[in-house]
Amino acid sequence: MIKHHPKFELLQNFVNGDLPASLSAGIAIHADMCPQCQEKISQLTEQVAEASFEQNFLHKFVVDDEDMAEVAELEFDSIIDEITASDDIESVKIHNEGPSIEFKGSEYVLPKAIRNIELGKTAQIGKLSRARLQLDEGEIHTSLLHIDPGGSVPEHTHNGFELTLLLAGSFTDEQGEYVAGDFIMLDKRHQHHPVSEHGCLCYTVANDSLHFTQGINKLLNPIGSFIY
Amino acid sequence: MPSVQSKLPSHQAAVTPSNMTNKIDHPQLCQWLKLIAVNRDKQAFTAVFKFFAPKIKRIAQSKFNNEAQAAEVVQDTMSNVWRKSHLFDDSKGAATTWVYTIMRNVTFDMLRKVKANKEDNLSDDIWPLAESMNTEEETFTDHIQNRNLKGVIETLPENQQQVVKGFYFLEMSQEQLAEHLNLPLGTVKSRLRLALGKLKIKLGDHHD
Ligand SMILES: [Zn+2]
Repeated sequence: MIKHHPKFELLQNFVNGDLPASLSAGIAIHADMCPQCQEKISQLTEQVAEASFEQNFLHKFVVDDEDMAEVAELEFDSIIDEITASDDIESVKIHNEGPSIEFKGSEYVLPKAIRNIELGKTAQIGKLSRARLQLDEGEIHTSLLHIDPGGSVPEHTHNGFELTLLLAGSFTDEQGEYVAGDFIMLDKRHQHHPVSEHGCLCYTVANDSLHFTQGINKLLNPIGSFIY
Repeated sequence: MPSVQSKLPSHQAAVTPSNMTNKIDHPQLCQWLKLIAVNRDKQAFTAVFKFFAPKIKRIAQSKFNNEAQAAEVVQDTMSNVWRKSHLFDDSKGAATTWVYTIMRNVTFDMLRKVKANKEDNLSDDIWPLAESMNTEEETFTDHIQNRNLKGVIETLPENQQQVVKGFYFLEMSQEQLAEHLNLPLGTVKSRLRLALGKLKIKLGDHHD
């Protein structure tokens, strides 16, 4: 059973569209696996939509100044004409199974939220394989991380935050066992040492803003920068 | 699904200040969206536009701090409403939620273009157009597996049947169909649109 969920504030920012693509996709993947969070997201969306479009907002914008209202009206009329001149309708797409990725002979279908994101080449160290998602979000790095059975991530600390979303398989750390769907958000206060007895695939997002100012860390612990 | 009534949309309800309350007239919004989907009703679209556009503009201005980009959000959002109205399903959620989703997605993609210089338009994968769009896909898949759909399709005029069958069973694009049937693209599009409107109503009646 999934035990680790995104915090409420994170869901709220997700619904508002205020999170980077990496974290937004992480929450979308979790919600697809977690009916509980899916339900919360639906409710939040409905609430924020209602609040956004409540009629009283209109007062200030259009009604205060009649000339303004007229200008806005005119401008709107031409946009309406332009939009309705097109006869296009959106196709109903029947989605086939999304693209998949192979790690060490196991094939994984990519979650819907990330099926159109370009993947970098897979890099490997021992029992760990990593493919980067090319999201170009500056200091935020997003990857698919595969751990072979019996593999582990050496003990490490984080400079920024680190999200590990377990997509398949399981692993354990000092806090206990994690299963597919678990959404594990750590910050730099945490230390952990995940071990995967049977192997697993994770979606990871990490912000290593302090990375370059702590070059010595990188030297001492190169695996940290490899993975996240 | 309630059937589409022919009651004319009233602009008054949406834009006249004296009628304004804090309550949103959800049934009215739903009805307008259906009129757009089924009849491509411009007057209904105008009413929907006048209800949403000023609010969308205000929200977008707070996100972009830029008049031109805010106007682009309005235009893109409303143009999606026009093109996707047949995907709106009022049993899956409010019209406001549906339009909000479109607006949030348009804004997200545009912000990503500005900030990360990426035009990958990821929003529809992250937030599929309400559950309505997913369900639409599943509904059609279900119905395709269901022999009922064939019966329903066979009630359509022959020229619409061709287009629908090519589109859903053979998964041909509208362009491919135009070429295959030797028809102008516009004709394929309008036949498909007509057929879709009819199917939606007929299939909707069978829904529980
Ligand atoms: Zn959850």
